[in-house]
Amino acid sequence: MIEIKGLSKAFPGRRGSEPVQALKDVDLEVRDNEFLTVLGPSGCGKTTLLRVIAGLVGHDTGTVLVEGKPVTGPGPERAMVFQSFALMPWDNVLTNVAFGLEMQGVDKKTREMKALELIEMVGLGGFEKRLPGELSGGMQQRVGLARALAVSPKVLLMDEPFGALDEQTRRLLQEELLRIWEATRTTVVFITHSMEEAVLLGDRVVLMRPRPGRIDQILEVPMARPRSTHLDSVESSGEFTALVGLLWNNLRVMHSDVRRTHPATQAEARP
Amino acid sequence: MATTAAATPARVASPRFSGRLDIWPTVAAFVFLIGGWELLGRALQQEFFPPLSKVLTKLVEVQAEIFAALAISLQNLVIAFAFSLVFGIGLGLLMGAFRKVDAALDVYVNALLTAPSLVFAPVFFAIWGLERWSVIAVIVMYCVWIMVVNTVTAVRTVSIELLEMGESFGAPRLKIWTRIVLPSATPLIMAGVRLAMGRAVKGMLNGEMFIAIVGLGKLVQDGSRAFDASLVLAVLVVIIVIAFICVWLVQLIDNRLTRWLPKTSR
Repeated sequence: MIEIKGLSKAFPGRRGSEPVQALKDVDLEVRDNEFLTVLGPSGCGKTTLLRVIAGLVGHDTGTVLVEGKPVTGPGPERAMVFQSFALMPWDNVLTNVAFGLEMQGVDKKTREMKALELIEMVGLGGFEKRLPGELSGGMQQRVGLARALAVSPKVLLMDEPFGALDEQTRRLLQEELLRIWEATRTTVVFITHSMEEAVLLGDRVVLMRPRPGRIDQILEVPMARPRSTHLDSVESSGEFTALVGLLWNNLRVMHSDVRRTHPATQAEARP
Repeated sequence: MATTAAATPARVASPRFSGRLDIWPTVAAFVFLIGGWELLGRALQQEFFPPLSKVLTKLVEVQAEIFAALAISLQNLVIAFAFSLVFGIGLGLLMGAFRKVDAALDVYVNALLTAPSLVFAPVFFAIWGLERWSVIAVIVMYCVWIMVVNTVTAVRTVSIELLEMGESFGAPRLKIWTRIVLPSATPLIMAGVRLAMGRAVKGMLNGEMFIAIVGLGKLVQDGSRAFDASLVLAVLVVIIVIAFICVWLVQLIDNRLTRWLPKTSR
């Protein structure tokens, strides 16, 4: 589905300082119908990786293929869900959900029918005439999810979609996402900074490390599908705890690495 | 930017904000003002500060003259404001869209925004003489630049996340503008229009008083030459009412266009 080989991306440094190597020599393959979660500390390039796949930023070296075609910009086979929801506050839920189809030139009647279907699917039936400002954060992100699903993408790109939500809402949306995904099996690339979320949702977890951003390791998540029906027992299983523990041990080392090599951070850490 | 800062609080202070009880301070202040004028005018017994009742009597007396003058003035105002809307918002959008246009014109727009607009009156007078076009040009100079500046800021401050969202769903450039940039820029553009409306009314009167002696400006001139304070103040009352109606109209349109804004930010 997605093949990434030797991907590197640097951002120019501020005011003559060294360029920031956001990604270096990243090789990654995302399989068809896979739910891939990408985890890492801040500055590991996970969001940049997603934005490169989305075609929102270019890359310096390497190849990024989606369905065998090189990525040169955004495309209709990829749809994105944003951490900040990125809803248009002047349009109601229906128009927001139909936005992607509208941009593809689908006629109003068809796109609204499709949008209504998706609004129903994410559990927002009856809210189609509401404005985003009248909805809670969780509901707004449901709109964001419905908007992405409305264009029937081959790949769903999710950039810390639940990062701005409170714990309980986040949990509900994780359940909801799993339920929808288990029904549709769209390929998903899901960025997160939560170890639990990465394991709970993913088929595989890609662990990234910073400076320069690169892949540390890729872990298979052995828990069977469907999981949405019994999340509690998934979370209390030994496999889950072991994986989360393993991920945290690796992440902890990355954080202490940072502290050793960057005097500024060290000073900050001391009270 | 100073302009933006000035524009935003107006939104918060608007009476729509917190319901019915808020009308009382307004009424109280109004009664106090009216009563104060009347009492002070009577107490002072000065020719240059007549009480309100005398001013209103004068207003009724010369109403035919005032309405004729008003018609001329309003025509100038409407023509000038319509032109300024199109030119001001248009130029602002261009400057917001193209860095090069902005780099080229930014300095001049800001200079013209701060320059006293009447300075240009002699130039217009030289071009059009005592014609109404001189007045119209003055009104434009008064109100157009604030709209340009606000529109540029409005376009510049469109959320990057929304622009990226549009791009990720494959929106062509034109759609990005019509579906994302213009709607998000509307509140700030309208704040500029509201400020411009006030400036336009000022420009109208100043233009009429200093160049082409017509309309309400002529009445003010006549009044002051004859030391007729009642006439001057009568015109002032009319102008205040006109200004109120104009700003209210703009507010009405603003509220319609930006109904989606959360109530607390109105």
